[in-house]
Amino acid sequence: MAGRIRAVFQSNELDRDLRMELEAHIQLLAEEHIRKGASQEEAQRLARIELGGVEQLREAHRDVRALPWLDTLLQDLRFAFRLFRKSPGFTAIAVLTLALGIGASTTIFSWVRSVLLNPLPGVANPERVAALETLAPNGEWLPTSYLDFRDLRDGCKLSEKMSVTKPMDLAVGNEDSFERVWGEAVSGDFFDLLQLKPEIGRFFSREEVDHEQNAHPLVVIGHSYWASHLHSDPQAIGTTLRIGRFPYTIIGVAPATFSGSMAGLSFQMWVPATMYGQLASTGDQTLVDRKWRTFRVLVRLAAGVTLSEARAEVQSHAIDMALADADTNEGMSATLLPLWKSHYGIQDFMLGPLSILMAASGVLLLIVCANVANLLLARATTRQKEFSIRLALGAPRSRLIRQLLTESLLIALAGALAGLFLAVPLSGSFGYLLPHSAIPTLASAPIDGGVLLFMISVAALAALLAGMAPAVHASVGKVDEALKERVRGGTSARSARLLGFFVTSEMALAVVALIAAGLLVRSFRNVSEVRTGFDPDHVDIARLDLSAASYDAQHADSYCLRFREQLERQPGVSAVAYTDYVPLSVSGGSWEDLQIQGYVASPSENMKIYRSLTAPGYFDLMKIPILQGRDFNLHDDASAQPVMIVNEEFVRHFIPTGISLGRRVQGWGKWFTIVGVVQDTKVFRLTEPPAPYFYVPIRQIYRPEMGLVFFVRTTAPTDSALATLRREAQNVDPSVPVFDASSLNDSIAASLFGQRISAELLSLLGSAALLLAAMGLYGVISYSVAQRTNEMGIRMVLGAQATDVSRLVIRQGAKLVGIGILLGTLASLALSRLLASLLFGVSATDPIIFLGVALLLSLVALAACYIPARRAARLDPVVALRYS
Amino acid sequence: MENKTEILQGTLDLMVLQALQAMGPLHGYGIARRIEQLSEESLKVNQGTVYLCLVRLLQKKWIKAEWGTSENNRKARFYSISKAGQKQLVQETENWQRLSGTIGRLLQLSGTR
Repeated sequence: MAGRIRAVFQSNELDRDLRMELEAHIQLLAEEHIRKGASQEEAQRLARIELGGVEQLREAHRDVRALPWLDTLLQDLRFAFRLFRKSPGFTAIAVLTLALGIGASTTIFSWVRSVLLNPLPGVANPERVAALETLAPNGEWLPTSYLDFRDLRDGCKLSEKMSVTKPMDLAVGNEDSFERVWGEAVSGDFFDLLQLKPEIGRFFSREEVDHEQNAHPLVVIGHSYWASHLHSDPQAIGTTLRIGRFPYTIIGVAPATFSGSMAGLSFQMWVPATMYGQLASTGDQTLVDRKWRTFRVLVRLAAGVTLSEARAEVQSHAIDMALADADTNEGMSATLLPLWKSHYGIQDFMLGPLSILMAASGVLLLIVCANVANLLLARATTRQKEFSIRLALGAPRSRLIRQLLTESLLIALAGALAGLFLAVPLSGSFGYLLPHSAIPTLASAPIDGGVLLFMISVAALAALLAGMAPAVHASVGKVDEALKERVRGGTSARSARLLGFFVTSEMALAVVALIAAGLLVRSFRNVSEVRTGFDPDHVDIARLDLSAASYDAQHADSYCLRFREQLERQPGVSAVAYTDYVPLSVSGGSWEDLQIQGYVASPSENMKIYRSLTAPGYFDLMKIPILQGRDFNLHDDASAQPVMIVNEEFVRHFIPTGISLGRRVQGWGKWFTIVGVVQDTKVFRLTEPPAPYFYVPIRQIYRPEMGLVFFVRTTAPTDSALATLRREAQNVDPSVPVFDASSLNDSIAASLFGQRISAELLSLLGSAALLLAAMGLYGVISYSVAQRTNEMGIRMVLGAQATDVSRLVIRQGAKLVGIGILLGTLASLALSRLLASLLFGVSATDPIIFLGVALLLSLVALAACYIPARRAARLDPVVALRYS
Repeated sequence: MENKTEILQGTLDLMVLQALQAMGPLHGYGIARRIEQLSEESLKVNQGTVYLCLVRLLQKKWIKAEWGTSENNRKARFYSISKAGQKQLVQETENWQRLSGTIGRLLQLSGTR
């Protein structure tokens, strides 16, 4: 075999050998003839006759010694190349449309792969890693407390390893220059669980770091941090970094391929979870309180154990724990999920949009294939003569099919190559998928082996889809029939049917894509128009990290007062307030278990009510109307009687009498008095229904680890307002890092980005689908007009008017489009259930959108038919009759 | 159609192997001549086809080839039978004899009827 393959490529050398050998043969023969008395010339002639045709022999020799199929393939390729060179227009259109289809699907696949399929790059056997999530009594997903994690880890034997991980923004550096680095707080088994080997140095171990709190100031750094900050110096191991004012010893460097345990995000430092209290300044409380549910938990399944087996064990263990620790865990449970279904991380909100986009890119690719199939088919029809002659000369039909498939494969490969040029920069736009906010996103979705394999498969599939029908069609025709048809100058009914079939499918697919896009755009508009209940215009915000500066609560309080005063003095500033939570931000909020005077909660009722801590003036600044009572004031401090403001829904739900002022509510072990009622606002999502919510004075509850956000309402432009925020923070205390300064509107937009990108990208894909379908229709109708020129001429001679002829053409197009729209609408109705969960305020079968798409497509189709129809109408009958 | 060439090809293969076995290394011309001689010119082989046969046998590794000098001092390619070729020859000879015996008997039978 190897010899034969070599023979194909060493063709020249082997030919030369044979020529020499045959030459020797001829000489020997000739000498014999000379001996028999022939003249020199005569002898040569006789010798050559006796040997037979040297050229034929050489051909035959080639066939014998080489692989016929490979030889044929090379022939086919050469032939295809020549054809493409001869029709560059056809080739360019086919390659470009394929590049569009392949490039789009490859890009989206690279996103899907990064976010859903390959969430842990660099990790060995990632498919055995799962996420453990705690379940609240009402079925809500929750992070897990450290104590619960330890019990589950020690109790569940089917989970070989378990580790907590908690994303943290670490303030790294000395007092003069803090840098914010994203890291993860992890337990000792983390790196073992992920089966990673350090680039240099070592990782943590359970024995070392999991027991005592705040006793192991150790850090593992990421490869790129090592390169960018420590010049990849091996000596860095053993040196210290200042993290949140404490010295941490670098013990190891993670491998370059590893960027943390959350898909699409990039972390650069790992510290022991037992140091969490110190870094978040929460003290020892965090890790010893079961109510402090703050960690993600990763699990590696033991060998041979299935996810459902391990899940059953985790569940039963969690239920035991709920009984044993009923004071904190009553009714709670836990479960295991595959990483792509985990609720913490970008995959949670990307799953829906990415699935839709993947499907849409598949639809686009199908349209592209139909388009290219049409082009090939139309061309095959014009090449019918060539095929007929080849068949007549005895070429097997399989050879013709192979030739045509080789051509479409070549086009698809060229398309894939061009698509790659499209996909590489596009996958770099991965960041576009994610909100511009407080998450450390990966710069790009890598185009790795898996993505390339996907692309090649897609290209091969496209070649097969686009090439099969024309190939088979071209080869099944009867030779004599085809030759005759050619003479008549018409097109066969069969090829017209096939062309029509492709155009109809394209139209149907475009309808599906456009309806989905229309629904999502409409839904996005609905969401954007939802009233938030506050006024985000002209409000700028900045997050501060007081815990990085090791503030205690009292320190924090005086800092906030001072900073507020500074900001109020700035020109253009009309109001300043601060809180621990930004409404509609991507991060989740905090809740507290409440007990409300005069309200008896049923045993299963969830009394964990979300809240925020606010400073006086917050409601004024946000323009949230205070319906009853008063705002907090500066006297509501730690020494004063605890007070609370609730929203309307809180009153509606818990205080049926409606007399809420003066009512007492217990939380944090204290009794609060309700002093005000404010209007409902959107807290987490624009699409949420109203829910009970409450506010307490930040001065009464605040701890520095709770996060702190300053709000400024100002007439200054955002950029200068943010610069002022940063500068003044620096003036008040340079050791307090400021980050995530943005306008409130930008911050809210980030919460909508899932819907935004599905709407935007799907509109883009839908438009491309429409354009391609229109191109396909135009091509087919033009082609058919050209084919029917003769017939049109006859009709005109027999008295048909120009309008009759153009109506004929339009009618032909209308039939194709009509069937396509009908089929596409039916398909969309069938698929509507899949889309329904992603829509807000619009039904998945919204008649306006369905009709709108049908109308749009009809108009575009009419335009596509109009040009060929006009051409038909302007035919000169005399010319048309002569045309063949 | 296909069977017929198959048999003819096989026949020629057998003859070439037999020639190389009996005569030792030969060049293409020698082989062609030898076959003509043996068949007493009754089987006129197109001399060129010998080369097709040789390349086939080379691929099956039944014969080996090396460049040498012919009796008239020309560069020529000499073919010799390999171990595998010898085995093949024995086997093929048996097959052939069995086949020709059968066919011979068959023809005799029909001849006497």
